[in-house]
Amino acid sequence: MSAIDRRQFLIRTAQMAGVAACVAAVWSPLVRGQAHAAAHALRPPGALPEEDFMALCLKCGQCVKACPFKTLKLATVADHAPTGTPYFIARETPCEMCVDVPCVPVCPSGALDRSLTDITKARMGLPVIDREICLSFRGLRCEVCYRVCPVRGKAITLNIVHNEDTNRHARFEPVINSEHCTGCGICEKACPTEESSIRVLRHQFVQGKLGEHYSPSLGEDFKIQDIRQGTDIAKELNPGDKRQAAPGVGYFNQPGGREGIIPGAKP
Amino acid sequence: MTSLSRREFIKTSIAATTAATAGFTVSQAALAQASAAEAGWKWDKGVCRFCGVGCGEQVATFDGKIVAIKGDPDAPVNRGLNCIKGYFNGRILYGEDRLTRPLMRMKGGKFDKDGDFVPVTWDQALDEIAAQFKRIYKAKGPSAVAMLTSGQSLVSEGYITNKLIKAGFRSNNIDPNARLCMASAVVAFYQCFGVDEPANCYDDFELADTTVLWSNNMAEAHPILWSRVTDHRLADKNSRIINVTTYRNMCSDISDLEIIYKPNTELAILNYIAREMVKRNAVNMDFVNKHCIFATGPVDIGFGMRPTDKFAFPAEKDTLAKQLNYTIDKYEAIAQRRPDMAGKSIEQKDAGRADAHWHITFDEYKRGIEPYTLDFVAELAKGDPSESLDAFKKKLQQLADYYIADKSKKIMSLWCMGVNQHVRGVWVNQQIYALHLLLGKHGTPGNGAFSLTGQPTACGTAREVGTFCHRLPSDMLVANPAHREKTEKIWKLPPKTLNPRVGTALMMALRGLEDGSVNFVWTQTVNLWQSVPNTNHWLKAARNKENFVVVADAYPTLSGKVADVILPAAMIFEKWGMFGNAERRMQCWRQLVNAPGQARPDAWMMLEFAKRFTLKEVWGELPLPGLKVEGFPDDKLPSVLEEAKKMGYNENMTLYEALFATPENKKFKWPDPIAKGTENSIVNLLGDGWFVEKALFEEYRPFTFGGHDLAPFDMYYDDKVRGLRWPIIDGKETKWRFSEGNDPFVKAGEGYNFHGKLLKAIPSGDLDGVKDTTPKPLPGKAKIFFRPYAGYPEKLDKNYDLQLCTGRILEHWHTGSMTRRVPELHRTAPTATLDMNPADAQARGLKHQDLAWVETRRGKIKMIVNTRGRNKMPPGTIWAAFFDEGVQVNQLTLDAADPLSLEPDYKKAAAKVYKA
Repeated sequence: MSAIDRRQFLIRTAQMAGVAACVAAVWSPLVRGQAHAAAHALRPPGALPEEDFMALCLKCGQCVKACPFKTLKLATVADHAPTGTPYFIARETPCEMCVDVPCVPVCPSGALDRSLTDITKARMGLPVIDREICLSFRGLRCEVCYRVCPVRGKAITLNIVHNEDTNRHARFEPVINSEHCTGCGICEKACPTEESSIRVLRHQFVQGKLGEHYSPSLGEDFKIQDIRQGTDIAKELNPGDKRQAAPGVGYFNQPGGREGIIPGAKP
Repeated sequence: MTSLSRREFIKTSIAATTAATAGFTVSQAALAQASAAEAGWKWDKGVCRFCGVGCGEQVATFDGKIVAIKGDPDAPVNRGLNCIKGYFNGRILYGEDRLTRPLMRMKGGKFDKDGDFVPVTWDQALDEIAAQFKRIYKAKGPSAVAMLTSGQSLVSEGYITNKLIKAGFRSNNIDPNARLCMASAVVAFYQCFGVDEPANCYDDFELADTTVLWSNNMAEAHPILWSRVTDHRLADKNSRIINVTTYRNMCSDISDLEIIYKPNTELAILNYIAREMVKRNAVNMDFVNKHCIFATGPVDIGFGMRPTDKFAFPAEKDTLAKQLNYTIDKYEAIAQRRPDMAGKSIEQKDAGRADAHWHITFDEYKRGIEPYTLDFVAELAKGDPSESLDAFKKKLQQLADYYIADKSKKIMSLWCMGVNQHVRGVWVNQQIYALHLLLGKHGTPGNGAFSLTGQPTACGTAREVGTFCHRLPSDMLVANPAHREKTEKIWKLPPKTLNPRVGTALMMALRGLEDGSVNFVWTQTVNLWQSVPNTNHWLKAARNKENFVVVADAYPTLSGKVADVILPAAMIFEKWGMFGNAERRMQCWRQLVNAPGQARPDAWMMLEFAKRFTLKEVWGELPLPGLKVEGFPDDKLPSVLEEAKKMGYNENMTLYEALFATPENKKFKWPDPIAKGTENSIVNLLGDGWFVEKALFEEYRPFTFGGHDLAPFDMYYDDKVRGLRWPIIDGKETKWRFSEGNDPFVKAGEGYNFHGKLLKAIPSGDLDGVKDTTPKPLPGKAKIFFRPYAGYPEKLDKNYDLQLCTGRILEHWHTGSMTRRVPELHRTAPTATLDMNPADAQARGLKHQDLAWVETRRGKIKMIVNTRGRNKMPPGTIWAAFFDEGVQVNQLTLDAADPLSLEPDYKKAAAKVYKA
């Protein structure tokens, strides 16, 4: 099937779906499956930007051979990634983020950037969360994505907020931080909803860009507020400290005194 | 953009648009279909199958199947929410490999221990079990048979099994897996308060100013409660959470203070806090004088291991030897006020009387806690080598400060397995109560020491019904003649029917299979050969020729593999049921669907089994070697048949007729209006028209009057009721016990009344022992215990240099026999990995994801190293969950136990890890 044919096929399928729901019910999984595969054709760690990657990749399969978890595959004609190029589908087999990154140094062409030696620096994609479906956003105690995240606490953090619906429980909302997320896809694989509520896509499909004329006032470091922020345990625990508003106050206010110095005072 | 990539881009965007369009259309159709389908659904109330939190659920059935489940918005515990296990609660019934036929090992058409499993009829299976039971029972008497049940068995199931074995077979060899879970909590409740179960309730989470977690990963083990604790932290900016733990876990995410300590040293930390209370004059002397006494007990009590190494693996012998003689280190020597004994071996002479305790003075108590200075405790307890001693000291001081904070500040202490599964678990429970009693902050709104529970009905069934080897219903004890008499009266048994000797606790029963003292074991709702420690022994013992093992379960488990007969059991909503959660809330459900194939409820199995015994087989004279109890002949149980005849029994009556289908019980007819048209498979199978669950609940209820009071059966089934917290007096539930205005058993003007009835008269003495053996009564008072710091038997050495701790994760329940059958849950955590500090891994030539051997004196298994795991281990400590059938973590763990509670310590085994 040529690209044009497929395009027409997809459009026709969509039209049919619009007309008869039952037909759509049969065909749409296929349609969605293909869309899914395309967006999920994630590249190995260290892959150069797609254009450069495609220009350099020899389709030799060395990286696929080196992958100990059989995560990486070479695309076949049916796979919707350019034939012969390495990719992985996170929902099936995510990148396990090997400490020694074995897939990168074997790349003969440099399509995978050899300067990547720290796997946490890899940027394979970025997850998006379907907040309408995600169980954690609904207040359930799930957060599976958070707990399985190999860069937990950085790539995925929890935004803990009051649940207005029950007025008694907290919601633990997972939040993706592009600064740390490698796009390994372990979260997408582990998500327990029928279709994953968290999906890793290539950055280009996920990330927006601010106009260069504008500098955000909150700054790039804007972070979710830690509910413990501003807590000074030492201070709140020691009322003596509070009274030390001026030098000497703490001493003078101490009950009693040293034996013999203040006659009659209880030590 | 190259042409190629542009084409890719266009294709992708078209496909995406298309999918969106098609998807929209489908979801409209699906929505219409769904609402049409939902019209036929029948919703009814249910309870989550899993942990001790007790979330309410709404369950929808259609065409004989559970089609949907949702958190019950009216349930006060969870208000419509669930954790990820509860979300899949309906799916656990429909795993692909549900057991639907009884299976028996056969050769040549007969039972054969060496045969393969073959499907048989229920009659074949039960007849063979009864024949084997009778063979063993006749030869060795009631002490050679055991029923091992569960904190997940329904109230009705626990009651039936308990009555059958204690009143019918006259054996006390019944013990639940709650022995592995809450036994330490129970002993502490008994010794401190004279009555089991928490004084506080979940409402306190929203009322406390400070919440202290003692070795309790509540975020994963009690997910919905944690969301309440967390929400309170959000709502009240001045509230604080403190996580006292041996490793960083998910609770630390929002804790204001995290204290990482070395195993067992919480015993010292708690004494340090008590000492600070005394030194800073923070003790509420008025409360203590009016409502408490001080107490202590023996120190050299061993570690609940076998006193012999006859059955030990060669490598185990050195650990086992510590049961008899244990060398204390310099810290233990100081902490136990015998500094000159450091490095010396001490005979564990009080192993047989570990539960003894006596009255001491406040001055003696103060002398006991005196060695626990900040300097001493900090040096001993600091658990993270990378933390400075000064920083750790500061944290300990802050922890003490929070406890000592002024009277208006409310404080809750919470704990669960980290404290209970501990060689000194009872002591730690008691030390936590001591802090709250010293402050006079217990059992009131927002103030209290609250023992959380692990299983859905460890409280409601195992503890309240008393399916332990030493218990009778509602806190009565096997060893107490008055309690036996009361039980015999309610159960209409001839006097002296009940066996006066405490039965075998769970670990003892398994050891019994190994040493030949127990030959018959029947397990219900429990996968013991995966969940008890040191399983290599029991896996082998189950296959000993003379032993007969019956496993009733819903799914194939490792336990089934070593059984002789496997019985397919009905699950949760396939039967009428009632659970009791950690806050004394009893909640119930109707049978909503039928079990698949020939799977049947455990209660029915027990009742059918009871039909296979006549009174003359069990109520005649029975051998009981070693029995020496006042009022009983030596070495045997007397025949009670003559007395039974006088009471109208006939010796050819079956146990079913004598104990269960009695004329009184048969008055509860099925169908009953509360059934609202639902089925009752037990009634259907029995075919004699009485409502088993209701009749037996109403028979059980009188046991509970006077402190544990339950409401009538029908009240729990009221559409508006979402469980009730006992005691229920005049139709009102009780949130807090022992304090005036909250507890209906406390009279006006008393302020407090610790009205529990057990162990309320004890001798007196000092820290070193009893000086006056006359039991001194202490009506209405609680005991504040002094308990010293003490170590554990298997210390690290050059060979076994890592501390192995085990536990649960949020995604899986216990041994995974249910949750691993839900593909979505399996996907979230497919295998148990070894959480390890990266430096420890590196030092052993290991990296994340490497396969490693984990070896202890008891066995070795392969695990995947996880240096990025959910728990952040300090150097020297490793952690593993026990849910994974493919990773038998309990082949590694040590079966040392708290000598008071006989609850094993799963948290401290010495291990080594090396590349596989």
